[in-house]
Parts: sequence; C-alpha cells; structure tokens
Amino acid sequence: MKKVFVFLTVVMVLVTALAACAPAVKCDDEWGCATIQKGQTIKIGYVGPTTGDYSNFGIDISRGAELAVKEHPSVKGFNIEMVVEDTQGTPEQGAAVANKLAADPQVVAVDGHTFSGSTEVAIPIYDKAHIVMMSPSATNPSLTKLGSAVFNRVVFHDEMQGKFAANYIYNQLGVRKIAVMHDGGAYGKGLADMTAGFFKDLGGTIVGTEPITPGETDYSAPLAAVAATGPELVYFGGYDADAAVLASQMASAGLKGVTFFGCDGTYGKNFIDLAGEASEGAFSTYVPIPESAAFAKFKADYEAAYGDPQGKLSPFSPHGHDAMSILIDAIEKVATQSGSSLIIPRKALADAARSTKDYQGLTGTLTCSDTGECAAAAVQFMVVKDGDWVKGPGQ
Amino acid sequence: MATAVQTRAKRTFRIGRLIRPAIGVVVAVFVLWRLYTVLASQSFGPDTWVRFAISGLVLGSVYAVIALGYTLIYGILFMINFAHGDVMMLGAFAGYFTLEAFNGAGFLNKNLPSAIISVVVAFIVGMSVSLVISIALERIAYRPLRTAPRLVPLISAIGASLFLENVAQLTFGVARHTYTNPEVIKRNIGWTLMVGGKEVLVAYTGVLTFVLSLLLMIGLYILVQRTKMGKAMRAVAEDKDTAALMGIDVDGVIANTFAISGALAGAAGVMWGLHMGVIYHYVGFIPGIKAFTAAVLGGIGNVPGAMLGGLVLGIVEAVAPAALGMPFQLKDVLAFSILVLVLIFRPTGILGEVLSGKKA
Repeated sequence: MKKVFVFLTVVMVLVTALAACAPAVKCDDEWGCATIQKGQTIKIGYVGPTTGDYSNFGIDISRGAELAVKEHPSVKGFNIEMVVEDTQGTPEQGAAVANKLAADPQVVAVDGHTFSGSTEVAIPIYDKAHIVMMSPSATNPSLTKLGSAVFNRVVFHDEMQGKFAANYIYNQLGVRKIAVMHDGGAYGKGLADMTAGFFKDLGGTIVGTEPITPGETDYSAPLAAVAATGPELVYFGGYDADAAVLASQMASAGLKGVTFFGCDGTYGKNFIDLAGEASEGAFSTYVPIPESAAFAKFKADYEAAYGDPQGKLSPFSPHGHDAMSILIDAIEKVATQSGSSLIIPRKALADAARSTKDYQGLTGTLTCSDTGECAAAAVQFMVVKDGDWVKGPGQ
Repeated sequence: MATAVQTRAKRTFRIGRLIRPAIGVVVAVFVLWRLYTVLASQSFGPDTWVRFAISGLVLGSVYAVIALGYTLIYGILFMINFAHGDVMMLGAFAGYFTLEAFNGAGFLNKNLPSAIISVVVAFIVGMSVSLVISIALERIAYRPLRTAPRLVPLISAIGASLFLENVAQLTFGVARHTYTNPEVIKRNIGWTLMVGGKEVLVAYTGVLTFVLSLLLMIGLYILVQRTKMGKAMRAVAEDKDTAALMGIDVDGVIANTFAISGALAGAAGVMWGLHMGVIYHYVGFIPGIKAFTAAVLGGIGNVPGAMLGGLVLGIVEAVAPAALGMPFQLKDVLAFSILVLVLIFRPTGILGEVLSGKKA
C-alpha cells in the first residue's frame, strides 16, 4: 500500500514538473490551437489514390501539391511537410486515412480528398478534428451543402457542369435523344443524373441509362444494351480510363457514328492515348486554365521534376497546387510564434482559408464563397480532332 | 418420450430437405417472370441478343483459358494460386512491348506475313514471360511452403499477387497502355452479320481469341490425357507420395504444371490485350477472380470443367443482366449468384471432381 502511494506521488511530481517545463501557450481560439515545437514540421495532408485503379489522378495531383510546397517550403521558419495518404479511390479507405490524419496533432490542413466519395465520408471526421480541407478535385455539388465549416474546394462543381453540358448538347449540337452511362460513383453518377435532369428540362429525351462497373476493360455488353435504345449521343459521367474503353468499344457494339460525350473526368491526353483513333469526335468538358507565366513555369517544373508532361495523367495538378498554396498562405496569415514554438489557431485558420479573396492561382483568380466554393467559374467543351483536344464548335 | 424426440428430429430433417427444392422453385419462378417481362417488352432486338452472345463467348473463352491455370494447380497442389491473374497481366505487358517494338521498327504493318509474324511472336514472348514468372513463383513463393498447412501457401499467393502488381506499377507506370494491333486485325473491324435487318460486327480479334482459346484447351486436354507428362501429372494429382515411390519426379511435375499454367495465362493476357485493348497493372485482377470463379463453377481440379465454367460465366455476365432486365452493373452479382446456386445443387461444380476422391 505504501509503495503505491510513493509511486503515485512520484508520478504527480513528474507530471507537474513537465507541465511547468512546457511554455505557457496562450490560445484563445474556439477550436484550440496546433502547437508546433521547434524542430517539428507543420503537417499538411495530401489525400488521394496513389495506388490502385485511379492512381493517375492521385499521383498527378500530389505532384501539383508537392510543387506548391517546394515554392513555399516553410512558414515563419517552420518547415511544411506534406503527408501523403493513399485512399485507392475508395470511401472506406478515405475514412480510414482521415481518421489517421485527425489523430496527428501536427496536421493542420488537408489538400484533398481527391474523389467526391472519399471526401464525403471524410468531411465529418475533419469537422470534428478541426482540420481545414481544400479539395483539388471533389466536384459533387452536395459536398458544400453539408454545412461543414472546414470543407472548401478549388474545383468547379458538377451542377454547373451538368447544366452547361445539357445546354450545349441540346442547343449547340442539336441532339434530342441521349443515353446516359456512368460508373456508379459519387462523382460519375451525380454528374450524369444532373446532366440528364437538365437535358429533360430542356425538352430532350433520355432513351436509356446504363451504369457500368468501373475499372474493367470490356464494356461491350452494356454498350450493346445502350445501342438497342437508339441514342444520338452517349453521355458518360466517370473517369478517363473507363471512358476510353467505352469510346473504343462503341463502334463494334452497334454505336457506330454515335457521339461520345464525356465530362471533366475524361478530359486529358490520357483519354486520346488510350482510345486511339476511336477518340476522334469525342467530347469532354474542360475547366480551362488561363495561360500565364506562372502556369508556364509550373508546366516546366512539373516536367523537369517528374518526367511526364503536365496534363498527361490528369487535368487536376494545377488544382492540387492551388489548394496547397491557399492552405500555406492561410497558415502564414494566422500562425504566431510563441517562444520557440509556432501556434496555429485552428478556427482562425479555417476562417482564413474560407475568406480567400482574389487569390492569383494557376486555375484563375480564386475567391471563396461562404460555403467554400473557391473555383474560378468557367467551362469549355472540347472535342478530339486529329488526335488532339480542340475547342468544340460554337464557343 | 424417446419416440417423440425421434419424430421431431425426423420432421426437422424433412424440412431441411425441402430447402433446396424451395430455393430452386423460387429462383426458377423469378427468372422466368423477369425473362417473360423483358421478352414481352421487346426492349432488345435479335441483333442485340447476338451482340450479347458474342461478347459473352469471347469473354468466356478468355476466362476459360485463365481458369485452366487455376484448375491445373489446384488439381496438383490443392492450393489456389491467387497470383495467377497477375501472371496473365505480365504476359499481356510482354506482348504489348513486343508489338510496340515491331511497330517501332516499321515491321508490324509492312505486309500480311509480317503482321502475322508479329502477332505470333507477341504470343510466344507473352507466353514465355508468363511461363518463367510462373515457375519462379512456384520456386520462390510456394515450394518452400509445400509441407506447411494449406492456408500458408494461400497467403503467400496473395502476397505474391500484390508484389507482382506493385512491381508492374513501378516498372510500367500508373498510366494505362493500349495495344497496337496490326491494321489487319484492328479492333472494331471484322465480318458483318445481318441479324433482323441490322448489322452485327464480329470482330476479327474476337474470333481469334475464341478459336485460339479452343485450340489451347484441346491442346491441354490432349497433353493431360494422352502424353507421358500428362500421365505423370495425373499421378501426382492422385497421390504425391505414391507417385514419388513409383519413380515420378514430383518437384519436376509440379514445376511443369506451373509452366503450363503460366504459358496459358500469358496467352490469355495477349488475347486480352489484342481484343480489349487496354492493359494496366491491375488488368489481371478481375479476370483472375472471375476465372477462379469459373474454375469452381465447372468443378475445380477438372480440366473440361474449367473450360465449361469459363464459357458459362462469360455468357452469364453478358446475357443475364439484359435477360433479367437489370442494369449491367449487377452482372457480378448475377455471376456470383449463379456460383452460389450451382454450389447449392452441385457442391463439386457443374462437372464435379473427376481426378481424385481425396480432395473432396
């Protein structure tokens, strides 16, 4: 019994001593502060699929983010560390990774998540942990309607894309009967449903809807089912790899001469490389990145650092860069030095990110709305002509 | 007292026996009802059904060739070689680089014989690479675990599968690659059938895949049933110890089996690339799982069973969703439902186990 008391006393003395040693940190932030000790790094998560079926997106965007960190490697003498976490593109893995980051007190912000499905499950986790998010590529419209205080994005959302696409197909291409295909994911299905809804509102007919299983290399049977409905155009919501398989198998499935119309997930050199000649005449949506000296430098840096030409793996590396730069800027604004450590108030950081105004990013001049929509709004429809994407007619 | 208990036991036994026919009736009624609704609605013309069937036959024949590899190895070692799909993937890549090399040298489309030579060489290279990988796999990942409990090599196989996938990702990159076919057998060209007044394309690559897989299956059947090596393989499958006592080199026979199944997987990989076009480091994963299903469906360990299982699975995937009026996203659900049903009614698969009673 006596031994126990002695032990407890020693423990208490030690705890008090340790507490006294730590610098008295003044933090009056509602959500608390992240304290970065001398020698530690400020951690910013990057979350996306870096292995698996959609690793081209995850790796490409992480490279954009990494270049942003290289441009701006430290805040007030504390190094920024980008912590890359892999979701393999799945919501389950997205939740697991979000929990992992939330458990690390040095993580103050997240560039991500990359896909809408994995973002949707991660938002409540970061909300609770008070970690600010800036997604480079999660485009599902509902994400900013969840009432999250931490979620923001620098990418154009699907509702606008769907509306513009339906309008373009109906009015510019003069098509009245379309079939809708999608990969069943939060992004693909959401976009396809939205486009179909707007197209119907305009007076067009949806002759068929056929979801596919993503990641396969044979879609001849679902395409044959679509062919039986006699569409003039096939609208697809999903990513480039699946889109390329669809486009290249359409002709042999009885859809010869039918236009393939993709979305911003299908835009990129990758689609043309994979579908080859079959890509000719296919449409997609492109959120244009204005030519600028900064973007030219980014492209050169990207190619020099990674060997691939920028834009080959996905169109989103500039978004990854902008999301990361905005986060680092916001940290710069709110971080204060206290003794030898850096104090980052979490609520102030989230507010700083959301009040971004007239930020000169690669993707345009970015201003965040009070729900966290920071994208520079513009959209363009592109068509493959002679093996390259060119602006579609009438724009 | 004793009689009452006995009657109750008897009654439960009878109810238990009713479950299988009941499932059968429910499924049959459901299928007939959906089939009737779909056919009555005439949403698909005869041309569409022919397209579904062609798609299913081609897919099924590739599944069958991959399934043969699963079945051969299971027959001999009673282990499921989960890395088999990845062996196929490496074969597909080998064929891809061969065709790229011929194309780069300007040989691929020079004339008809050069195109044929290129494709034949692509098959040989693809099969050889897969053969070597398969033998190496056996030596490194499975042979040291030969005497371990059955779950151990299974886990080793899953590890080998992940290893091969990640090596491929690091070596060939994350981007997908598209096969460069010779002009004469480009995808999307072929014979045109007129069905119900509409054109249906029978792609040359599809026919090539189907015919070649039939030839491979027949070849394998002859090899197993008619040659000395096949005899040794069957003997080892029956009983390894006795076979060893009879002077059969068991390790050699097992290595041969892995070589044959690897070569088959390589051929399947090249066929896949030529017909489907797109390959990447996970291209073997889904076909591997499906082919395993096909092998179980037909009766694992049974060579004709794997062929039948592959074709059935391919056709079910292509035709069943349409026939039952369901979206194609549910094709895997249907394929696995068929598997469950077959296992309920014939636990050893459609053709059952013919090699040995020991494994049942």
